[in-house]
Amino acid sequence: MENNNPLSPHIQIYRWHISSLVSISHRITGIINIVALTVICFWIASLLLGENSYEFTKVFLNSIFGKFIILSLTWSFSFQMLSEARHLIMDLGYGFELKTTKITGLIVIIGSFVLTVLIYLLGKQFI
Amino acid sequence: MNRATKKWLFLKVSSVVLVPLMAWFIINLVSVFNKDYIDVVAFFSNQPSKILVSLLMVFAYFFSALSISEIFEDYIQDEKIKNAANKAVNIFAIIMPLITIIIIFNLNT
Repeated sequence: MENNNPLSPHIQIYRWHISSLVSISHRITGIINIVALTVICFWIASLLLGENSYEFTKVFLNSIFGKFIILSLTWSFSFQMLSEARHLIMDLGYGFELKTTKITGLIVIIGSFVLTVLIYLLGKQFI
Repeated sequence: MNRATKKWLFLKVSSVVLVPLMAWFIINLVSVFNKDYIDVVAFFSNQPSKILVSLLMVFAYFFSALSISEIFEDYIQDEKIKNAANKAVNIFAIIMPLITIIIIFNLNT
C-alpha cells in the first residue's frame, strides 16, 4: 500500500531561530552520543584483552586529541541532558510562549558549556 | 492506547531515567578515561558501576532506537525501506547493550 504521509520539509527551507537551532542540535548530539556510547562499548570490550593491549588506548586517551574527544563528548552529553529536561518541561505544558522558548533555548545552549566545565572540574576532582 | 502514544510514553519514561544516568556516567568517564588499566577495570567492575552502566546502556539504546525511528518517520517515505531501517536499528539496540553487559559482568580486577 502506498503511503502518502507528508514528510518533514528539509531543514534548510526554514529561517533559523533559537528553537530550531536547539531542536536540530538535539538530534545531532543524540546521534553523536549513541555513536560515542558504541565506541565506549568497544572500549569496555577491549579491557578483556588485558593490560598490555590497553597501552595504545591509554596513550591515545592521554593525548591532546583524546582529551579533546572526551571534552567534546562531555559537551554533547551536557547539551542532550539540558535539552531533554527542556523537552520534559514542555511536555508538562510549560514554556510554549515565544519569549519563553527563546529564553529556555538560550539556557540550553549557554548552560551546556557551563555544565561541561562543571562536569570536567567535578570529574577531575577540582571541585 | 495507540502505538504512537505508547512510543511517546516510552520515550519520555526512558528520558527521565536517562538524564541522571548520563550525568553520573559522564562525570565518572571524565574521572577515569586517562587512568591506568587497573583503575579503569576497577571502575567498571565495582558493583554499583556494573549496575548503573548496564542500565545506562539499556535505556540509551532503547531511547536512541525510538528517537531514530522518529527521524525515519520524518524523512523516509518508502514503507519497506523504513521497516528495514527500523528493524536494523532495533536489532543493533538489543545486541550492543547485551554484549556490553555480558562483558562488564565478566570483568575482574
